[in-house]
Amino acid sequence: MAATETQLMLSVGLIEKDVNGDTLWVWCYPSVSSDLRQVLLSKCCLTQDSRDFHTFVFGQFCRTWFYISTVEVQEPTALNKVTHFSIVVTAKDFNPEKYAALSRILCRMYIKHGSPVKMMEAYVTVLTKGICQSDENGSFLIKDYDIRKAFLAGSVKDVVSQFGLETIILYTALMLKKRIVVHHPRIEALLEFTRVLPTLTWHRKDWSILHPYVHLTDTELEDLKKCPGYVAGFVDPEVSNRSDLFDVYVNLPDSVITVSQSAKGMFKEKAVCF
Amino acid sequence: MEEVDKILIHALKQVGTEVSEETGSVRQFSSELIVEAVVRCVRVIDPGLGGALPTSLPPGMSARFRVGMSLAQACQDIGYKGEIGYQTFLYSNEPEIRSLLMFLVEKLPRESAEASDQPQGKSAVMQRAIAAAIRAQLSVPWLPPNCRLPLHSQTQSPGALHSFHVQRLSLAHCSPGKKPLKEVKDYLRDILPPVTAQPSHHASVVASILEQHTAELSAAQEWDSEWNSQGLLSRLKPQEYRSRKLTRLRKRIEEQLRSAALPSPESASGGPRPTGDLSELLQTEPSTSIPFVHQSDSDVQLRQQEEQLSLQEQQLCSEVDQLTADMKHMIVTHAQVLDELKQRELGNSEKEEKMQVKKKTIDLLPDSDDNLQKLKALVEASAKRVVHLASQWEKHRAPLIDEHRRLKEICSRQDLESSQKLSEIKSVHDKIRVSTEEAKKKEETYKQLVTELENLPQDASRSAYTQRILEIVSNIKKQKEEITKILSDTKDLQKEINSLTGKLDRTFAVTDELVFKDAKKDESVRKSYKYLAALHENCNQLIQTIEYTGTILREIRDLEEQIETENGSKTVANLERILSDYKAIRQENSALAAKVREG
Repeated sequence: MAATETQLMLSVGLIEKDVNGDTLWVWCYPSVSSDLRQVLLSKCCLTQDSRDFHTFVFGQFCRTWFYISTVEVQEPTALNKVTHFSIVVTAKDFNPEKYAALSRILCRMYIKHGSPVKMMEAYVTVLTKGICQSDENGSFLIKDYDIRKAFLAGSVKDVVSQFGLETIILYTALMLKKRIVVHHPRIEALLEFTRVLPTLTWHRKDWSILHPYVHLTDTELEDLKKCPGYVAGFVDPEVSNRSDLFDVYVNLPDSVITVSQSAKGMFKEKAVCF
Repeated sequence: MEEVDKILIHALKQVGTEVSEETGSVRQFSSELIVEAVVRCVRVIDPGLGGALPTSLPPGMSARFRVGMSLAQACQDIGYKGEIGYQTFLYSNEPEIRSLLMFLVEKLPRESAEASDQPQGKSAVMQRAIAAAIRAQLSVPWLPPNCRLPLHSQTQSPGALHSFHVQRLSLAHCSPGKKPLKEVKDYLRDILPPVTAQPSHHASVVASILEQHTAELSAAQEWDSEWNSQGLLSRLKPQEYRSRKLTRLRKRIEEQLRSAALPSPESASGGPRPTGDLSELLQTEPSTSIPFVHQSDSDVQLRQQEEQLSLQEQQLCSEVDQLTADMKHMIVTHAQVLDELKQRELGNSEKEEKMQVKKKTIDLLPDSDDNLQKLKALVEASAKRVVHLASQWEKHRAPLIDEHRRLKEICSRQDLESSQKLSEIKSVHDKIRVSTEEAKKKEETYKQLVTELENLPQDASRSAYTQRILEIVSNIKKQKEEITKILSDTKDLQKEINSLTGKLDRTFAVTDELVFKDAKKDESVRKSYKYLAALHENCNQLIQTIEYTGTILREIRDLEEQIETENGSKTVANLERILSDYKAIRQENSALAAKVREG
């Protein structure tokens, strides 16, 4: 199984922020299309004006999962003129823990050696052999990170305790493959909550409907609209005005679920999709 | 003394005294002139006192005497502290007259205080003129139209008012750097009427010119302020800045128009509904248009038709509902099918990939171990190659990134410097503006002061007086120095004299004793003693005579000074006049007494 699983990794990229305040996409292997590159740059917290620093974020775009870890460079280091950098790993599968661990190893290697070559060696070894040495004692093994563990990592009990009886609305929407939009100003809370929702339809084991980190840009929204039903997470509060994007709107900080006008009939619908 | 007299004469002329041009000093004033001058001054200083006094001396002696007394009394009332009486005016005395006139001239009220308080400046002068004119107009009482004199027609009749109509004027605009075409020049020179002839109504000339001018002025000021605040910051040339602003404004206008026009498509979608009702209405129309002649028959027919139509309507409605329900169902199934299709396609592609891989593995399966080794070696080799390529790329990439960062740094530094320079430019602009304003103000005040200077009376030149005063002060200083020197010399001399006298006395005492001692014994010594005594006595007398001579010389000098002052007071002439006046008074008295005795 290791062979097929390693084919899931698509690319690794490097974004640096330097002393001039510029954030640049400096390196990637093997290659990343310019659309995806734009999206990844916008997701990386280094390009955003706010000073929030998110260590690890992930999301989906064009059926590709991306995982971004950001590190602040501390002195002494082999890197000069770099204040922060992010490592982006794109893959076909959803497994945040695995890629978070991998990115951590790659980050440490980059800081230590100051050149992406070493980092690439590690990446290639993971790609070919499924294992790589890490700086901590022990090594990184792909088979330690089973995908089912990723599916189960979130806690459904928390969702139910937060929303109580209204969880039925979410369950119905998911069963009927409706569009759910979740909003929370903090990305970490958003990621944590949205990754749990597909667990409610466990029989499908389909996490491709999950788009946990979306911005209100045309490219991303177009990609989103291609899916008939999805769970999308937005940090931007403006999304509450975009009633064309959702059937169910979840305001996470206030714990309020709103069903849009056009979707109020879904409770009466007789067709149920499996 | 001449300067003082000149000042006095000038001041007296200003008061109104007729002083002829030849009189250069107070000494030449006659009694009549003195009286006239003093009376006019008193009138200016205190109109109540001066009103009763005549400006000329009457012919009669006693009258003259009375006038002199009253004048002296008036001067004392004003506050003159010196000795004054009728004799000061009738038998005048130069120093007394001078001091009296100086006192009176100083007492004259200053008229210039009022004017110097107000601010100078052309606009202030004009405003004061306007205020004075309005005050004069307001002070004229309002009269009904019939009683108005032509004097009032300008200010009180409404004919003078015009409403503020503005008309557009064509002016010749020349943009800097562009030469106007020849045709334009000809047009401007020959055909375009002057500004005063352009408006249709003569009364709107002023209004149009004012409006045009204020518009241009405010536009220029706005452009100045905008350029200084935003234009410089944008670091563009003025034309570029203007064109950019124009495009920006146009875009905004387009957006506004578009957003305003948007609501109409939404209303268009509501269109079909009313037309549906309209068609129904039109269908029911014929039933109402049937002529009213066959009313009863047509009523029954109408009702029948109505019923039929309502039945049809109901049928159609139910059909429509069914169709909509069908449609909804179809849409849902359609969506489901599409979804399934997409998923199947994806699954297909994945399965195809897997199949390819499996096919390759099956092909390699027969010689599995070998092939496995080969594959592993291949993989390792390609991994190494990739890593090698990556390191080569890194060699290229790292310097490029460094270069990029370095250039960015330089760029930001230059930005900083240029913004600093911009702020400097702004401050220099401000300074320029402030200094031009100050220069303008100073030029104005200079021009105004020059005109004032020209208008000032040229008789009394202050600079000559100040020069003289400064000369006098320096002279006095020199004299003071000399006096102190002389005083110190005198002191030294006196000290010397004292010491010499003392020495002399002591020497004489000693010699006297010595000689007297020997004089008892020797005859020659007795004689020499007698000579010594005589010498001493004579010398003493000599010294006394010298001192006496000195005292007498001092007395002579004092007496000479007194003689001069007495000569100046022309006492002899006055005495003669007094005698003649006395004789005249006696004659008048005797005449009056004779009259009294007769009548």
